[in-house]
Amino acid sequence: MRKKPNVLVLTGFGLNCDHETAYAFELAGASSCRAHINALTAGDISLDDFQILAFGGGFSWGDDHGAGVIQALRIKTNLGDQLLEFVAAKKLIIGICNGFQTLVNLGLLPGVDGDYTQRSVALTYNDCGNFRDQWVCTKINSDSPCVFTKNMETIDLPVRHGEGKFYTENQTLRLLMENNQVVLQYALPDGQPAKGAFPHNPNGSLADIAGICDPTGRIFGLMPHPEAYNHVTNHPDWTRNRTFCEKEETDDVKRLGEGIVMFENAVSYFDD
Amino acid sequence: MPYRIEITLKEQLSDAEGESLCLKAKNYFNIDFQDVRTIQIITIDAALTDEQVETVQREIFTNPVTQVSSLAPLPIDFDWIIWVGFRPGVRDNPGATGVEAIEDLLSYTLKPGEAVYTSKRYCLKGNTITRQEAEKIAGELLANDIIQQWKVFAKREWDPETGIGFVIPKVILDHQPEVATLAMDSDETLERLSDERSLALNPMDIPTIRSYFLKPEVQQQRQKVGLSDPTDVELEYISQARSDHCNHNTFGGRFTYRNMEEGTSETIDSLFKTYIEKPTLVLKEKKPWVVSVLWDNAGVGRFDEDHHYVITGETHNSPSNMEAYGGAITGIVGIYRDPMGTGLGSRLIMGSYGYCVGPRDYDGDLQPKLHPRRLLDGVIEGVRDGGNKSGIPTPFGQVLFHPGYLGKCLVFVTALGIMPAEINGQPSDQKTIYPGDLCIMCGGRVGKDGIHGVTASSATFSKNTPAGHVQIGDPYTQKKMHDFLLEARDECLIRFITDNGGGGLSSSIGESALFSNGCDIQLENVPLKYDGLDQWEIWISESQERMTVVIDPQYLDRFMALSRLHEAESTVIGTYTDTGKLNITYNDVTCAHIDLDLLTSAFPQWEFEAVWRPPVMRGFTEPVLGKPENFGGLILDLLGRPNLSSKEWICRQYDHEVQGTSVIKPLIGAARDVPSDAAVIRPVLTSQRGLVFSQALIPMYSAIDAYHMTTCTIDEAVRRAIAVGGDPEYLGGVDNFCWPNIQHDPEKNPDGKHKAAQLVRSCKALKTMCMTYGIPLLSGKDSMYVDGHLPGRYGETHKISALETLQFSVTGTIDDVTRCLTMDAKAPGDMVWVVGLTKNELGGSEYYEHMGQLGLNVPVVDAQSFFVCYGQMAKAIENRLVASCHGIYRGGLGIHMAMIAMGGELGLTVDLSKVPAQDITRDDKLLFSESAGRFIVTVSKENNKEFESLFHGQPAACVGKVTVRPELSIGSVEGTKLCALTVEQMKKAWKGPFGDLI
Repeated sequence: MRKKPNVLVLTGFGLNCDHETAYAFELAGASSCRAHINALTAGDISLDDFQILAFGGGFSWGDDHGAGVIQALRIKTNLGDQLLEFVAAKKLIIGICNGFQTLVNLGLLPGVDGDYTQRSVALTYNDCGNFRDQWVCTKINSDSPCVFTKNMETIDLPVRHGEGKFYTENQTLRLLMENNQVVLQYALPDGQPAKGAFPHNPNGSLADIAGICDPTGRIFGLMPHPEAYNHVTNHPDWTRNRTFCEKEETDDVKRLGEGIVMFENAVSYFDD
Repeated sequence: MPYRIEITLKEQLSDAEGESLCLKAKNYFNIDFQDVRTIQIITIDAALTDEQVETVQREIFTNPVTQVSSLAPLPIDFDWIIWVGFRPGVRDNPGATGVEAIEDLLSYTLKPGEAVYTSKRYCLKGNTITRQEAEKIAGELLANDIIQQWKVFAKREWDPETGIGFVIPKVILDHQPEVATLAMDSDETLERLSDERSLALNPMDIPTIRSYFLKPEVQQQRQKVGLSDPTDVELEYISQARSDHCNHNTFGGRFTYRNMEEGTSETIDSLFKTYIEKPTLVLKEKKPWVVSVLWDNAGVGRFDEDHHYVITGETHNSPSNMEAYGGAITGIVGIYRDPMGTGLGSRLIMGSYGYCVGPRDYDGDLQPKLHPRRLLDGVIEGVRDGGNKSGIPTPFGQVLFHPGYLGKCLVFVTALGIMPAEINGQPSDQKTIYPGDLCIMCGGRVGKDGIHGVTASSATFSKNTPAGHVQIGDPYTQKKMHDFLLEARDECLIRFITDNGGGGLSSSIGESALFSNGCDIQLENVPLKYDGLDQWEIWISESQERMTVVIDPQYLDRFMALSRLHEAESTVIGTYTDTGKLNITYNDVTCAHIDLDLLTSAFPQWEFEAVWRPPVMRGFTEPVLGKPENFGGLILDLLGRPNLSSKEWICRQYDHEVQGTSVIKPLIGAARDVPSDAAVIRPVLTSQRGLVFSQALIPMYSAIDAYHMTTCTIDEAVRRAIAVGGDPEYLGGVDNFCWPNIQHDPEKNPDGKHKAAQLVRSCKALKTMCMTYGIPLLSGKDSMYVDGHLPGRYGETHKISALETLQFSVTGTIDDVTRCLTMDAKAPGDMVWVVGLTKNELGGSEYYEHMGQLGLNVPVVDAQSFFVCYGQMAKAIENRLVASCHGIYRGGLGIHMAMIAMGGELGLTVDLSKVPAQDITRDDKLLFSESAGRFIVTVSKENNKEFESLFHGQPAACVGKVTVRPELSIGSVEGTKLCALTVEQMKKAWKGPFGDLI
């Protein structure tokens, strides 16, 4: 029997998606541990014991002074090299929403040329001027090295944020495109690119970017919340599709949400 | 020397905040800006070096990708500048997190008095803008003088070197705390002193208070601890505990109720005991799933064998009316502390909202403190930040516009939590305190917040006076405390927990001390935001984000270690005893020494006279309206009425997916834009069980009779829950009353007896409905005095009283969430059924209101037959016979068929002659009657027979079909075509008023 990878899901300081993120990893076959950021920085727990590190959603430090900024600072100041060692050990990191914002402020993303300290992209205020909760369709770049999205083509997921507009200089954008570091893009319901059209692109992200990875594909950040699609009933259309599917086949509805696939991909990475 | 960092977005980035300001200026005041850029200002009042400041500027406050910053004023082009900052003592959340970040980055601890302050500078471009307009934007869009200060600069007034200068809104009280004693040589003296000090003691209570302090044995005991006359701490404590807010004197009062129609008269001793407590206790016996009601901060019901759910609701009206954002965020964050303080503490799983405000486009003569539009904006944002930042989904809410709320708005907030049924083998819903247990204050610190409510006027402000009477909730601090306390609970460290809300420590400790029968409190240990608070202020301050936690002393070290880990502040402030006394000292000097049972002793009961004259006696009749001809136009216009139209812009600002538990969302259907009947969540992720939640608000019927307002409101909330798959056997309720003043006064409240009668009738209806539907009241609150005095055109004032309002919430467990359903039409060819009788009940309806009428025939609930029908509906849903189910609510059949068609983006063809009806034959009445107890259901052809037989004997009929062509086509009673409206047409009308808002 394969050994379950250990996942560390950070909590505290206004983070709030830790329960469902830990649950999603458990569903995917990992062993999850929710732990306070201070337990990590104080050395009560060690990154050495984990194969996957999850920066989850929430409002760390109230999102004041830029979403994810203070969390990144806290981690950088108090954890420093340990995190870079984690990366160097070819382990996996996922940042979801506030976690994604933290990863870009840490510089772990985009990690161009293996530089994991440079802040070169940002997630800034939505063009619509407000926090927004909606489900989006996203298209997945099959040429991306991203571990988490292996064999996936599209996925519907919820976004819930006020600062999710992906922004960077043109040069960096080009580089990300060339390196296939752009993993997830907002799309129209038919899978075509949203091309900035609101609300399909809910925040005005450059190039409809919803998620990126580092050049190795082992560090992944995205604004949508895969952990909030952990059950078939999370999807906004489930009561509509069920009717149709009931007409053909009566029972045995698959109850796992599609979002779990991303976590399963992360777990299977350790099979090799 | 203070430092000031100015930060703004790089030029090439759009400034969403500035753009939204432009839009509002245009839409609200017709003021045209070419451009607005916003600048964040961080003022650091701390002894840092230049180098340190540059480090924090670079590392914390400037994003190199998107922002530029400077220690000198940023040279951004403008025609006008508006600067907005907080007044002293107002909670500055980003200022506080800024301190945390600076301390962490520099490994430096700010000294007492050092702080970080945030403010904003808006650079407005627009060469036609006048000073008056700039001031209007500042005062009516950007700032509220209660909590904020602002300055407007014209080009020539702006010094590019100095900028805004250094504004340090620091609280300096320069006051030695002191305890005052109040003479009580006579009732009159005490009454006068009470008025002078805004103690708000009820004159009726004064003799009881005096006689207590005059008792020889009491005087003897007081002498021993160095006290004689009552202290301000003691009288404030009594005043808090006796307030209507804490003691519910109105609901506990004695009512003489005369019914002028029947010529009967009766005396009701306590509405609460008669109509709320009694039925709830009876139902608790019948419903083993009811775990804990009527005593704790919230009610508790069984979720499954291993979990309990917790629910409560309240309002935050007066503060929101003054400072909408602050009032609302304090309200939602405050209600979240109730489930945290229920049993041994529960984890929050959802919240909901209900806003009642004046018309958003009000342009009459009355001048409310905040225009309804601005008030609603602020309230929406307050609940948004409070809920989202707490990580709690907000999947349900309602908004209602009515001129009666111009005087005072209503902000309802409801919270649900979940807790393990047992903690270390002990039932989690039970708690008590033993002598020797420690009293700990957790969370925020204490300032002059909320002391004596919202009474101060702007004239009393000075540069350094804390503007603390209006508060701004701090979800970040509370979330840290929430996470900490749950861990402490799971480690079995908590003996007792309760929240600090109204009355502050005075209430939480005063009430908890009853469990051990006494306490010793050392007030000097209470952590303060700033020095100079008097003892009584510390004792009754309503500073937010605080819980009172009681622990066994042996767990103190572990409790404090956990507290430190979570960076939540916890302080031991006293010990519980069994002396029967509330004993408070400050630096070893006694400032209160009072028998706890004083408050349970014989205070006089409040008395009310209630006189009911039914609507017919009040001269109400049905209007004389001829049958309309243009039904299409009529339906479209009704869809565009503010109370029926789409409010998507509000739902979308609220996170309803966090925690990953969403099953039935607030907006559903093919385009995910139509409001659901109710919300369903799956709060235990490993389980298929769910919780349904719904609410109803139909105060318009109170204009005719609050009895029927109440029955209809409860019926609607229940029907909403049934419509998504709720189980009628497992529903619990929460009642939230908001009523105008009911105490008759010939001049100030001439219709007080009528309003009192409405309250009595409403309570009677509540009891009848709860008993018939079998709904125990898990929790409830009342908020009286929903009246306002508004200036009019000539400087006169008008008393505006709200409609008598009940918000009723329903929740209940669902065995398997995959059996839930939504209201949108699903498949062409499905049959459309109307279940329930449509009667000639248009009194108070949206249709009559549209026609400028009120009418007489308010809908009447036939609870017994309805409930039989709901049982059948639940069975049909459980057997998966139903493709969609939707209750018929405000607006009637016509409006709700439109909703179903819009939801499915499909058509409906409906024949009105087939609609089950009684005493009604006119098309308009069939379409717009608001009779209760009705559903519209769509059923597939395969299930039609079975559905039909299930509803045999019920007033139910198949009235039409779902069609591919997205068009609502209605045939008249006579068999002619009444109208045909496309989904596109209907959506356009329905989204007309608010569709552009985001």
